[in-house]
Amino acid sequence: MAGATIDHMVAVTILIAALLLTMGIYNQMFASAVAYEGNRKVAMKAVDIINTACLSPGNPEDWGEKNASLLGFGLQDPQVGGYALSPYSLMRLRTSSNDSQLVEYPPDSGLFYNNISANYGHDILSPVGDCLNYTAAAKMLGINGTYGFRLDIVPTLDVNVSQVLGYGHLVLNVEVHGSGLPLSGAALNYYLFHINKTAGSDYPSITRYPTNPPGVAHTNPSGSVDIHFSNVTDDDPSYSFTVYVSLGGVTGVGYYTHNTIDSESQYIIPLIQDFDDGKIIIAHNWDGVTPAVTYNATFFVLTSDFQLHPIQIDNSTGLLGAENPYNTTQVRAYEVGLLVISYLTPEDDMGSVILPWGIGTLGVPTSFGGDPTGYSFVATELRQVSIDDISYQVKVSAWSLSG
Amino acid sequence: MRTVEVLFVIIILLGALLMAIQFAVLPSPQQAFGTNLRELSKSTVETLDGKGILTETVFKNSSDPAWGDLQKALSASLPPNVVYNLSVYDISTSSGGVINYHLANSISDASFGVDSEAASLLATSPNVTFTITPEKVGEKTGENNTLYILNCNDANGWWIVGYSAQTLALDLHNLLSPYFQTTVLVNSTYELGLLLDGTLLTGGDGETVENAVVINTFGESVPIPSGYYTTVGYDPDATYKYAKYSWYLGQITNQYNWTWVSIVGYPFYYVTNTAYFENDHNGWGIYGMKQVNQAGVNAFLQGLSNQSYTYNATGITGRPGVVDLSSEALDLCNYYGVYPAPYQTSDRALHSSILSTHNLVATEIFDRALPPNEDYIPAATYKHTGGGALTAIGLTRTPDIRVSVLALLMYYRPAVYKSEFGASCTSRLVTLQLGQQGGT
Repeated sequence: MAGATIDHMVAVTILIAALLLTMGIYNQMFASAVAYEGNRKVAMKAVDIINTACLSPGNPEDWGEKNASLLGFGLQDPQVGGYALSPYSLMRLRTSSNDSQLVEYPPDSGLFYNNISANYGHDILSPVGDCLNYTAAAKMLGINGTYGFRLDIVPTLDVNVSQVLGYGHLVLNVEVHGSGLPLSGAALNYYLFHINKTAGSDYPSITRYPTNPPGVAHTNPSGSVDIHFSNVTDDDPSYSFTVYVSLGGVTGVGYYTHNTIDSESQYIIPLIQDFDDGKIIIAHNWDGVTPAVTYNATFFVLTSDFQLHPIQIDNSTGLLGAENPYNTTQVRAYEVGLLVISYLTPEDDMGSVILPWGIGTLGVPTSFGGDPTGYSFVATELRQVSIDDISYQVKVSAWSLSG
Repeated sequence: MRTVEVLFVIIILLGALLMAIQFAVLPSPQQAFGTNLRELSKSTVETLDGKGILTETVFKNSSDPAWGDLQKALSASLPPNVVYNLSVYDISTSSGGVINYHLANSISDASFGVDSEAASLLATSPNVTFTITPEKVGEKTGENNTLYILNCNDANGWWIVGYSAQTLALDLHNLLSPYFQTTVLVNSTYELGLLLDGTLLTGGDGETVENAVVINTFGESVPIPSGYYTTVGYDPDATYKYAKYSWYLGQITNQYNWTWVSIVGYPFYYVTNTAYFENDHNGWGIYGMKQVNQAGVNAFLQGLSNQSYTYNATGITGRPGVVDLSSEALDLCNYYGVYPAPYQTSDRALHSSILSTHNLVATEIFDRALPPNEDYIPAATYKHTGGGALTAIGLTRTPDIRVSVLALLMYYRPAVYKSEFGASCTSRLVTLQLGQQGGT
């Protein structure tokens, strides 16, 4: 009898141990499958979002060029189609994730501008009221409250420009890198906007070197090249330099600006007033410290073969200060290009700012959406696109908000 | 004994577990969490070909430096953990109609693991030219219609703002002469007089007065030869005294089975001859022409329909406004490769009542406007059942001659024979295969 009981006890113990072991393994399998399914859903949502963003122009399809309200989200360029994004729609994204990142101008006026910034002096400042915010975009995508997303749009090529000293004239070094490797043999089309003071004139002048066609160079095996401007001395010149790079169908942009003004303060601030009409406010810094400056502005239209053609604009010159804090001008709303504004202080110091009209004209990177930090699984999708014929990569990150 | 039974149970449990593990295979990490390589491949190929550089490269010899540039561009575009293989296949068609793909060239940066995705692009050689061979108008019926384009050097145009009749004549010649056996420019009102009398102008092979198409490039004014036609075409009792000339034109159109084309505005609104009307102007300061008003088109329709001449200056046109090309006309735009703007403004549209009063059948190229303008025909070719036709483009100035060309092609419907798209060695298939490194 005792033997049978022990036999039972041993059998039950072994059985329970086996059950626990198998249940644990099954449990892990189920947990993995559930996690996989959840993550797969997020990954599919990332595909949905990037397809909608890249392959749909939105509704209305030219919403980036109009003041009309947006009914459906999409960033495709309707005039090109395929994987081409609209340079105008991208300018209307509210990229600032919180109000502290907005630019208030004039100070304490309550008028805020979204800042898509390449770097100092190369900003796209758009009225916040005309920009599409993240929540509205999420609602249009039908994912508000269920999924979060973020769009990162960055140029494919990394083009760095730096000044090389010691030649007695201006020499600029251009370095081109692709995805982790230098790009040799790339063709460069470049322009130098030399800012100068013309004798007998109160306004600074903008001299373009060369005029047209643009200067041409090629990168060496290490992906860099020195470009010499023998007619510009390197004695603290003021200039802006823009270079368009292309090789085998991939294209990029680089730029560099040097001012003779030491101050960190940007004396002139171009603000977009109206997307539909291409109205731009050329404003003085208005900080109460910066002196009045004269300016000279020119709009250059960027053609498909990367040439810049100057276009006459209203109020192309003027004096801005406390008495006359801003002027209004107008660019061609439906043609991408660069608004180059040079300015001159009473002490004959010079500087320049550039407003890229169209994201691609200066290769401006931009990000739009929420912050994925802290979420356990974030799916990403990558696409190659073109904006104004400049190669970009679009990365979409998506995550589930339900945990 | 119980222990043995439990052991059996455990074996069953473990067996079930093993079977479950065997069948419940989770996907590989790349499949579960990797980026969609097929879409990435597609977007890469599309953007590289954005300016046609990829297409240009894949037709080059494999030793051409452009292949090296393409390889660098691919390496620069794709993330470092993505490997690629770009293969180009030549497409050819054998005599039996079988399509063959031969590998022409291939570039890659590493070997793939188990998983990879690919996208493809069909590239057409930039050196290929596609030819079209139009059928000649009247070729099927043996009529071999001749195209006459009025290019008179002694006449003035009206409502052809920005153009001269001579430049329009040249453009029309370029657009339409491939569709006609013979094209003749009528260079003076004297030559027009000869033509109206039934005389061949060139005497060359193929020119026939019967069944011809006569295009008036002078807009609302019509050249008039001095002499006989300024005499018989003159009605001393009428307000607009040269309306009767239009009646003669209608008669001749009917007699020779012509198609008379008015390219813009009111048809036959003025007569023009810079020598004969040297001191007369049209009321707007253009000398060399006299106004006929709407008596002109009424008289022409009377002549076209073999009715006797009765002076009638009653207006028969309306202003339906913006009108759209019909779906049939849009199809023909694609067929013939003629693309006028699909929306046009019509303010000289003829009233549809002329169809019944003059026994006409209209081939319309625009959809009619909405009520109350649905009875006006913006542009059409009106064929008289007894012979002859009038193509009247009742659009506003400035004339778009492509509308007239489309109206004529829609009326005559010549076939267009195009070269085959899949001709040998003109197409190549480009496939870009992508894989992720570090996977299984």
